[in-house]
Amino acid sequence: MNTRTAVVLAAGKGTRLQPLTQSRPKPMLPAANRPILEHVLDALVDAGIERLVLVVGYRRERVQSYVGPTYRDTPVEYVIQDKQLGSGHALLQAESEVTEPMLVVNGDRLIEPAAIEAVGTAFADSDRSAAMAVIERDEASRYGVVSLDGDEVAELVEKPDTHGHGLINAGIYAFEESIFDEISATTRQSGELALTDTIQRLVGRRDVTGVPIDGLWVDATYPWDLLSVAQEVLSRGQTSEPETKPGVWVDDDVSIHEDATLQSPVVVGPDCEIAAGAVVGPNVALSRNVTIGPNATVERSVLDEDSRVGHGSTVIDSVLGQDTHLGAGTVIPGGPGDVRVGNQVHEEQHLGAVLADRVKVAGGVSFETGALVGAKATIRTGAHVRGQIPIGAEVVR
Amino acid sequence: MCGIIGCVGRGDETLETLVHGLESLEYRGYDSAGVALGGHSFGVCKTSGKIEQLRAALAEQSLSGAVGIGHTRWSTHGPPTDENAHPHQDCTGEVAVVHNGIIENYQQLRDDLTAAGHTFESDTDTEVVPHLIEDELARGADPEAAVRAAVSQLEGSYAIAAIVDGTDALFAARNDSPLVIGVGLDPESTGNTDLANGPYFIASDVPAFRKYTPQVIYLEDGEFARLDGSLTVTDTDGQTVEKTVETIEWDPEETGKSGYEHYMLKEINEQPRALRQCLRGRVDELASTVDVESIGDLDPSGIQFVACGTSYHAALYGSQLFEQAGVPSQAYLASEYASSPPPIGDDLVVGITQSGETADTLSALRKAKQRGAETLTVTNTVGSTATRECDHALYIRSGPEIGVAATKTFAGQLTALNLFTLATVEDSQRRSSVIPALRDLPGDMQSVLDNSTAAEVAEEYATAESFFFIGRRYQHPVALEGALKLKEISYEHAEGFAAGELKHGPLALVTDQTPVFALVVGNGPIARKTVGNIKEVQARSAPVVAVTDGQSDAATYADHVLEIPETNPRAAALLTNVQLQLVAYHVANNLGRPIDKPRNLAKSVTVE
Repeated sequence: MNTRTAVVLAAGKGTRLQPLTQSRPKPMLPAANRPILEHVLDALVDAGIERLVLVVGYRRERVQSYVGPTYRDTPVEYVIQDKQLGSGHALLQAESEVTEPMLVVNGDRLIEPAAIEAVGTAFADSDRSAAMAVIERDEASRYGVVSLDGDEVAELVEKPDTHGHGLINAGIYAFEESIFDEISATTRQSGELALTDTIQRLVGRRDVTGVPIDGLWVDATYPWDLLSVAQEVLSRGQTSEPETKPGVWVDDDVSIHEDATLQSPVVVGPDCEIAAGAVVGPNVALSRNVTIGPNATVERSVLDEDSRVGHGSTVIDSVLGQDTHLGAGTVIPGGPGDVRVGNQVHEEQHLGAVLADRVKVAGGVSFETGALVGAKATIRTGAHVRGQIPIGAEVVR
Repeated sequence: MCGIIGCVGRGDETLETLVHGLESLEYRGYDSAGVALGGHSFGVCKTSGKIEQLRAALAEQSLSGAVGIGHTRWSTHGPPTDENAHPHQDCTGEVAVVHNGIIENYQQLRDDLTAAGHTFESDTDTEVVPHLIEDELARGADPEAAVRAAVSQLEGSYAIAAIVDGTDALFAARNDSPLVIGVGLDPESTGNTDLANGPYFIASDVPAFRKYTPQVIYLEDGEFARLDGSLTVTDTDGQTVEKTVETIEWDPEETGKSGYEHYMLKEINEQPRALRQCLRGRVDELASTVDVESIGDLDPSGIQFVACGTSYHAALYGSQLFEQAGVPSQAYLASEYASSPPPIGDDLVVGITQSGETADTLSALRKAKQRGAETLTVTNTVGSTATRECDHALYIRSGPEIGVAATKTFAGQLTALNLFTLATVEDSQRRSSVIPALRDLPGDMQSVLDNSTAAEVAEEYATAESFFFIGRRYQHPVALEGALKLKEISYEHAEGFAAGELKHGPLALVTDQTPVFALVVGNGPIARKTVGNIKEVQARSAPVVAVTDGQSDAATYADHVLEIPETNPRAAALLTNVQLQLVAYHVANNLGRPIDKPRNLAKSVTVE
């Protein structure tokens, strides 16, 4: 691949993923046991990218402290988008750092090296000033729908009214450095510069190559999507931990009692402790420093770093944010149910509960299907939780 | 205090390698810098000021060569001038020397050399070395013998590197000053390096060449190295010494700023990660055990801590941990301990030093050792002098710290001291209450970092007359550390007090222009007494900033509150400290101070 530099857009908050994004940006949410961003950077480095430029903004310290000045020996530079004024505006911030053709990807969406290579190669082989990956998807209306004319993008329609299956913009681009001028020349829509608006200009000039891709392409739009993302990652074994048994990935620095059971597929990150009688899995991802107490049951769940599950608790179909503590005998039974986000009701989602970062749950608490608990909320002993709990709230019996 | 770099076998990249090394060492000292290159040609370039000035000076002349040495200087003898910058040369201009340390007999040597007709250009002790080498060369010695003979006349502490016109070799020697050799070219840490053929690097500290290789050899006191196409290390008698090659585990990445404005802010934000590394594999909460390498077998009946600066505050904290566990313990300032050591008895003497090279602490440890004491060092630096001279080493595993003001290494020290007491003198009941709090620390610390309002507090008080910090028990060392941090980087006046001591004098200093930072954890008798002290200063109109877990009513009497999560009071010390680090950082930033390189200070103080 000729393109050396990749720009990764990692400044956005991910509003629809509330309450999980109250203290970190969407790219730092877990795809199984590691942040989504780490998978994106892996794919770029595996595809041969030699220089990474990260556009950071919302809660940027979290990205900077996690990734550091290099990623897998590839130098990382940071540019700051102070106000989140759209993806085009985000890319424009990289203008001072990039003076050559570049790849551009979103830091919050899992992709494969093959897709990046395909876009890079198609871009190098054509005379057009941009290339973009396209992929077939159900629920195409959630994205930008693309129609191709040969290898040329003929049309790009953002979030159309049509329903069902279609070819969509996969959010992996290659651009000449002239893209910065194109963005600057694009008209702002209600104060924001969307990258797709600039691409529309190029499509109008028949100047964009469409590159069909398949394989891994996973997006988390809503909090419960993190469960299917984790399943996808586990099914591909992309955990970066050693596989001790088929479908069981366990870090070297853990303490797992011999009377605990790990059911495949499951990943256990560094510094985790699992007590006697606990049953963890299938489809469970424990990030680093997670504690599972005696006789607890955890199934189809993502537990982010520093979280704790107390004695005899049951956690099914759930997402636990960082530093979330469940007291003894907590019950999140899971199963299908309705989830309310703002004014929208998402029916029949398999979601036990989403507990954002630093939620503290005392003993004997039960959760109704689809509960969303805001960061730093406190749930007192014996309470019954349902619906949405705001940030920092206290729930008593 | 100064930084040395040298390399051989880098071809056309010799100069770039040296300048990169100097930039990586800049934190050690920074009032002048210079390089010398030898081989097919010979030349020196040096200047007062920072590395940027050296780069500008280098642009005006063309230096090249197969071998080179470089130096950043932090003045001890003579002001920071071009003349006093290293490398220093002899009268003929055929010898160039860089040196770190203090040559104690330099006046005598200089007088003798002057009497013999040598002309000196600088005020430095170092300059005697090239002239001594010149004398030996004039007597017909070969370059290696000449350097060796010159070094043998030196008394004091030194790490020295020298090159001589007409030879492609680099000569190095050390006594009581750090010097490490890098071997081979292996930027990817593959382990596939040709140790026999180089290239070779020398430096005061690994970051200077870590970009090129992770393979290192630590020179011992009295050893002499010749580096050219191969590497030979000899002892004082000239006998060849077999050296073992060690591999450094951390990455060069950790020496970049990763998007932060200052290393200090980067390092403050790195603390959760640093604590994970410190705790990894050492604690088991469910089994209630702590396993820290070799020190678990120790059963000290008494402890004497020796340390300086921030490490001394860690020593005060460690001393309290031992006393709470019923083991008599005392923290001493290392420089005072070295001048007037107390009776040691059967006490274990523990030296806390981030770099492992702090001259005052090493001196105190040596004093203790001379008197037969068993010694242990708590340090961040594998292979440092402290680890080689002490009987035991406890590593804090914080990763390299570049900012002159210690932040993450203080957190690492406090964590390691908890592991130390838990592994040696504390019972299972104490372990089962403290270990969960230690495992919660990375998350708790991230919580403080995510939610801190220290920047707003700092903005409000940046122009205050003085800053006072008060706390009791575990919060007392934190109060002292909070004041030291603020002094170091903001240049503003700050003092920390034991809260109860306030009314015995310092209260006279308190006015409406002096914010008081009160550290209050829990709601027990200790917290309530500190709340009483808050009322005392409030009655004198002082603005009060309460740093608290919210369990007491401290917030009621405070103008501002900096919150920390509830946890064990021992762990809470690390959390209140993060708030004070952020206050110091933001006050200094508001005042536009050079935060990573405060005036008159250096990262690792290798002179007494």
